[in-house]
Amino acid sequence: MSAGTLPSNVRDPGFPTERENYLTNSKGFLSWFCTLDHKRIGVMYLIGTVTAFLIGGLLALGIRLHLFSPEGWLFTDNWLGSSVDKNTIYNQVFTLHGAIMVFLFIIPSIPAALGNFLVPVMLGAKDVAFPRLNLSSFYLWMFGALFFIGALLSSGLDTGWTFYTPYSTTTDSSVILATLGAFILGFSSIFTGLNFIVTINTMRPPGMTWFKMPLFLWATYATSIIQVLATPVLGITLLLLIAERVMQIGIFDPEFNGDPVTYQHFFWFYSHPAVYIMILPAFGVISELISVHSHKHIFGYRFIAYSSIAIALLGFLVWGHHMFTAGMSSLTTIIFSALTFTVSVPSAIKVFNWLATMYKGSISLTTPMCYALSFIFLFTIGGLTGLFLGTLATDLHLHDTYFVVAHFHYVMVGGTLIAFLGGVFHWWPKMFGRLYNEWGGRLSAAIVFIGFNLTFLPQFVLGSRGMPRRYATYDPEFAYLHQMSTIGALILGIGLLIALVVLIASLVNGKRSPANPWGAATLEFACTSPPPYYNFERAPVVGDPYDFHDIFWDAENERYVTAEPEREIVPQTVPEESPAHAGGQN
Amino acid sequence: MLDHNQLPLADVNKSLWFPEQASSFAEGVDWVYDTILYISLVFFVGIVIALVWFAIKYHKKKGEPAESQTSHHTPLELLWSIGPSFLLVYMFVVGAISYLDMRTPPEGSYEIGVEAYKWGWTMDYGGGTYHPELHLLLDEPTKLSMRSSDVIHSLFIPAFRAKKDIVPGRYNYMWFKPTVASEKVSVDELASAKKETGTDAWDYDKYQFTPDGYRFFDLYCAEYCGKSHSEMQTVVVVHETQEELDAWIKEKASRPDDVAPDAWGKTLYNQRGCASCHSIDGSKRVGPSFKDLAGSTHALADGSSVTVDPNYIRESILEPKAKVVAGYNPVMPSYKGQLSDDDIDSIIAYLKTLAE
Repeated sequence: MSAGTLPSNVRDPGFPTERENYLTNSKGFLSWFCTLDHKRIGVMYLIGTVTAFLIGGLLALGIRLHLFSPEGWLFTDNWLGSSVDKNTIYNQVFTLHGAIMVFLFIIPSIPAALGNFLVPVMLGAKDVAFPRLNLSSFYLWMFGALFFIGALLSSGLDTGWTFYTPYSTTTDSSVILATLGAFILGFSSIFTGLNFIVTINTMRPPGMTWFKMPLFLWATYATSIIQVLATPVLGITLLLLIAERVMQIGIFDPEFNGDPVTYQHFFWFYSHPAVYIMILPAFGVISELISVHSHKHIFGYRFIAYSSIAIALLGFLVWGHHMFTAGMSSLTTIIFSALTFTVSVPSAIKVFNWLATMYKGSISLTTPMCYALSFIFLFTIGGLTGLFLGTLATDLHLHDTYFVVAHFHYVMVGGTLIAFLGGVFHWWPKMFGRLYNEWGGRLSAAIVFIGFNLTFLPQFVLGSRGMPRRYATYDPEFAYLHQMSTIGALILGIGLLIALVVLIASLVNGKRSPANPWGAATLEFACTSPPPYYNFERAPVVGDPYDFHDIFWDAENERYVTAEPEREIVPQTVPEESPAHAGGQN
Repeated sequence: MLDHNQLPLADVNKSLWFPEQASSFAEGVDWVYDTILYISLVFFVGIVIALVWFAIKYHKKKGEPAESQTSHHTPLELLWSIGPSFLLVYMFVVGAISYLDMRTPPEGSYEIGVEAYKWGWTMDYGGGTYHPELHLLLDEPTKLSMRSSDVIHSLFIPAFRAKKDIVPGRYNYMWFKPTVASEKVSVDELASAKKETGTDAWDYDKYQFTPDGYRFFDLYCAEYCGKSHSEMQTVVVVHETQEELDAWIKEKASRPDDVAPDAWGKTLYNQRGCASCHSIDGSKRVGPSFKDLAGSTHALADGSSVTVDPNYIRESILEPKAKVVAGYNPVMPSYKGQLSDDDIDSIIAYLKTLAE
């Protein structure tokens, strides 16, 4: 890359004509709802998950406003005319918040929304391996989401998103409908994972070896492995829970000789790996963002790639750390504690590699980069505070307190949500062909960062001082910390609203985006913005996805251009016209 | 008296992070916590300084090339992969050692039974003495053997750094050694507080001492258990001498001679968790209201009906699932063995006063 004169052999895809991209190649309601195009499915997932996030976020604000005062401020015994008492309303609201955020936003956001759009394009393929399965997984998700939210609202579920027995087998609210919803959503997750595994295994174009894949694809691949292997366990667990409620078969309920801790083992055997379904794709996004916006080769590519796989595998071994206080044997707890520490090594490797990538780079503080820097800061806090919870002596004190609440929000919100936002801002011009207002984007990143820290930093103190989680009311000595947290949540809400406005405004009056707005070397930036229906007009030339030598800034036209590499283009990979199977190699 | 409403930061003078250290575990746990905190801070500060410094120093104008394109450095990567692992092993080991101490109660510990239910606590001091407050002896290793009569609860005393889930269907144990005795408030202070509210619906949060005039440590339920989870709190009082503790236990053993049965019944209603499910103003909670209950006729879940006479009340306390009122779930725990005959008679007497 050079600021000086351009070489003579640059390739500049420029701007597409209005007709030739995936958004415009066919019109009408049906062309979206029956589409097999992974990009449109990705966009539909994006709309779906963001909608779920907005609902979950409003519920979170409700929770925080309620906790502004020790006796509870927002919900009253006659809230919205219902005669349910305020503690019950609070319990239903936090259950709804947790369940929606986990099942409908954090788990599907990056893999399903960004993943669907990006996996084939980054790979240089025309679509995923099973386009119809892809569409059906979206409909399963939609159906599951509507069913799930409907069930939660109608039954006023108050079990918490974890459905712990025997509370869930004895409570009045209809746990069965809600768990069926989660069960359906699980299938959607499995289908998506399966599709990506097959796509990445079979549809890499010539030249795209495993170690030429962008790290986002490695992260997606590792995530998909977890989705396919762990989600069925959740499905079985939820079916057992239903069987227990309906038939009292005596697995989980002590009244029928069951053991409630068995449920916790089953549940966390899925749900702990699910934490890595949430965070691994975020690692993938951040690896892309840091490298591209530092215009420097990612540092330690192989270590990052291997660490993704290591996290996916180790993630299956540590579920027991959710039960240190439940009464497992000393030996079991010690083994789980030791295993838990092993997961922190690959996570730490990634952070060091990202920093090393920035070292001596050419850093542009674009909106995606601001989010990426914010991610490193927040995820580091989230990861380090995990050490307090993996250590047995301190976990006994901190378990089920606000320390845990703060820790997992730092990982899931500070990690996944921030990476998701960074990813959306990074790929938005690619997805919709429009540039957004950079200042607005950076402002949103700054306000989100401030609001987030003000919300959750005080909660670490709350927790270590002994404030238990899931409390609708609390002792007055905790009030000032809760109030800081509530004010933070309002600021965070404003920041997220700004991000939404900036993105939507770009669709209305944003400038047209060039093919490669950031000067990236991954394949999705080799096609036009938005991409054409089959992604590439000719088979892309696969090179190192983090090699920036060929990319130049064209100051005259104000965009990045790519110098044609002196490599032979493989002729037989030119796509046929509208093949039924949209694979990259046929 | 220290008013927490007016001085929210008062506790912070002691430590930003922790409540008071009041058991023999506290110092060790806090030490492990601080150790991890300092190690984490070293890494965190290092990472953030590098992050900010790189972002500023290597911020370049668009199109300027990076100074380096180094893509890997295996020795460096191995160093930062393996190096921190030693610290992790260290944290694991110190954490596990403290944990093992906390798991193993010494022989001959003073034993107290704990029953957790939705939503309250009953401490069993032996000899038929039950009380919701946990009273302990200073410097005496104490073992709690805990059971739950409905769902999972968790006993958490922040000042002791001690927590353990209470899982229905099994006994769970925990132990600790209290190291700080509860102060007693002055007689005047106690008298004026009692004059203000009476002893029945004592407001622990407001006064920050028990109806007996002791300062206390908080005891919370830490495992989510439904509607009144956040109100499932009680207090821990640490006595300085065995005599003082014995005197307290003796005092709580049964109805004092100068207290009328219906007044004692009201005390039991407030202390023993009845109030969390049964109102006395006619409003519907988890169970039927006690207002106008005695002498009325109930429809039962099985279609029959029953007159609420002393026999039925006694049966409902001892065998709550035998005759369930229509429209309610059979969720009440049995109080068999936890209430003396005199206690039950007192509750019956109290219920009668509510139906007049």
